[in-house]
Amino acid sequence: MTTTMLAETPATYSPPKQFRLSGLGLLRSEWTKFWSLRSSWIVMVCAAAFGAGIGIALAFDYAADADTGGEAAEAQMGLSALDVMFGFGMSAVFIAVLGVLFISGEYTTGSIRSTMSAAPKRTGVLWAKTAVFGTIVLAVYAALLLATFFVTQLIMADTPAGGVGLGDTGVFRVLSGYVVTTVYLGLLGLALGAILRNSAGSISFYIGAIMVLPMLMVQLPWQWVRDIAPYTPGNVPNTLTMPDTAGAQLSLGQSWAWMGVWMVVSFGLAAVLLKRRDV
Amino acid sequence: MGRVPCGRSVGGMIEIEHLTKRYGKKTAVDDLSFTVKPGVVTGFLGPNGAGKSTTMRAIVGLDAPTAGTVRVNGRRYNQFRSPMTEVGALLEAKSVHAGRSAYKHLLALAHTHSIPKRRVREVIDTVGLSDVAGKRVGGFSLGMGQRLGIAVALLGDPAVLILDEPVNGLDPDGVRWIRQLLKSLAAEGRTVFLSSHLMSELSQTADHLVVIGQGKLLADTTVDDFVNGRSGEKVKVVSPDAAALAERLQGPGIAISSPKTGVLEIQGTEAAVVGTTAAAHGLVLHELSIQRASLEDVFMELTADVVEYQQTRKEGVAA
Repeated sequence: MTTTMLAETPATYSPPKQFRLSGLGLLRSEWTKFWSLRSSWIVMVCAAAFGAGIGIALAFDYAADADTGGEAAEAQMGLSALDVMFGFGMSAVFIAVLGVLFISGEYTTGSIRSTMSAAPKRTGVLWAKTAVFGTIVLAVYAALLLATFFVTQLIMADTPAGGVGLGDTGVFRVLSGYVVTTVYLGLLGLALGAILRNSAGSISFYIGAIMVLPMLMVQLPWQWVRDIAPYTPGNVPNTLTMPDTAGAQLSLGQSWAWMGVWMVVSFGLAAVLLKRRDV
Repeated sequence: MGRVPCGRSVGGMIEIEHLTKRYGKKTAVDDLSFTVKPGVVTGFLGPNGAGKSTTMRAIVGLDAPTAGTVRVNGRRYNQFRSPMTEVGALLEAKSVHAGRSAYKHLLALAHTHSIPKRRVREVIDTVGLSDVAGKRVGGFSLGMGQRLGIAVALLGDPAVLILDEPVNGLDPDGVRWIRQLLKSLAAEGRTVFLSSHLMSELSQTADHLVVIGQGKLLADTTVDDFVNGRSGEKVKVVSPDAAALAERLQGPGIAISSPKTGVLEIQGTEAAVVGTTAAAHGLVLHELSIQRASLEDVFMELTADVVEYQQTRKEGVAA
């Protein structure tokens, strides 16, 4: 064994001054993280294929029926121009799962340790993830909905459901309603992932409590359970995508307000737990 | 909040004061106090489950102390404006998303502090991952994962480096490389704090030692003092005249044992005295050497109680 002689006056090291933690830096970091995973691309493509695929398939089906059966077939199906978009409502589950994985994946792989060592105030990471994920879903779904709308209109051009424009009553509202609903459910998934920190647990909870439970609640024999069902996190955005909101349980305004409530509750809980718990 | 007023803080010093961390009923770290100084490599030694990782996690703010304080450079870790330039940490091998490439993992972390791509490529070169930087981390060996973890720690060019079991999974070349790296980083005036349960590893890398067991401090000393202070030195003699020499060497405070014929182990005297005595009496020596206890021996001796306690307690639970 050798003895290391300590220098009488040891060198003093000062770290580089130009490297600084910033909000913009956290946003860039989360942006890089999102696009550097193959799973992000795959889930996005799946969601798009599901929503747009169902829309286009229904449009073709409708156009073919309209050719052969004429007015009778149309009356029988009762399909309006926007009903073909309903696949996007179902594709939101892909986005919610992606939201869950965007944060729970960091816990299951352990990369959360380097993430939180780099940003020890922690909540900045949550807000950066929320902003990046919300913006990506918003942009992708806005483009997707518009494209699908125009393509389906082209297919159904010669049918009674054709000839609808973006400026027609309710059309833009319903299309943007699908985008907002998807962003909302995706962010709900993100908050859930931050609270539960476990991919399988969070996804199960989302499917069980957010998707299935509200459907189950209206089947139960107790009136009060049926009364609160429209206010559950998974149900509050429903009005946004209804072409006719007259029969809706929540008005458009109530729908927006309750979405806001659930966002504040879920992200508030996520932020508090993130601050308080050990990583 | 600004700097700590007492003014005793030196750049890059890690100060741990009365740190206690409990997980439920289990106490992982128990009233632990020590400081880690810049300019030297400090080893953090203890059996598995002694609380090394918990202490290191507390330094970078991942675990909040149940009691006590942890400061780096006089501040709590979460008060730093650029944490990655203050402390670089390797806490667990391969804590990276398996689907991401090494380069993208480093780049994502670099972005948080506006660290340029140039620096990312620099640390990739330093740790020798240039050929595989674009590959998904899922296919990495433990050693490559360890090198990536070291790259993460170096990314911000930090004043303090904290490495939990950095040699795990490295091949002999890698072990030699990291020893050199850590020594040169310390020589630049940085604080280097690395844990290991391999005592032989620390004896070759560290200058200073902090030893813990059961979450409590057992020793805080230099490597040399640690070995010498505990068991002392023995002088070993191989001689055909061993019996005669033993007789001549007898004296107060001197203990002589003979593990086998022709071999003596003498405690309480120096090699020079033994040699002079032999020469004065015309006794032949084939070997005269100083036997130092290995760090392993001393460590085992020091933690024997702790480890035994652990084992009996486990048996008690099982019974």
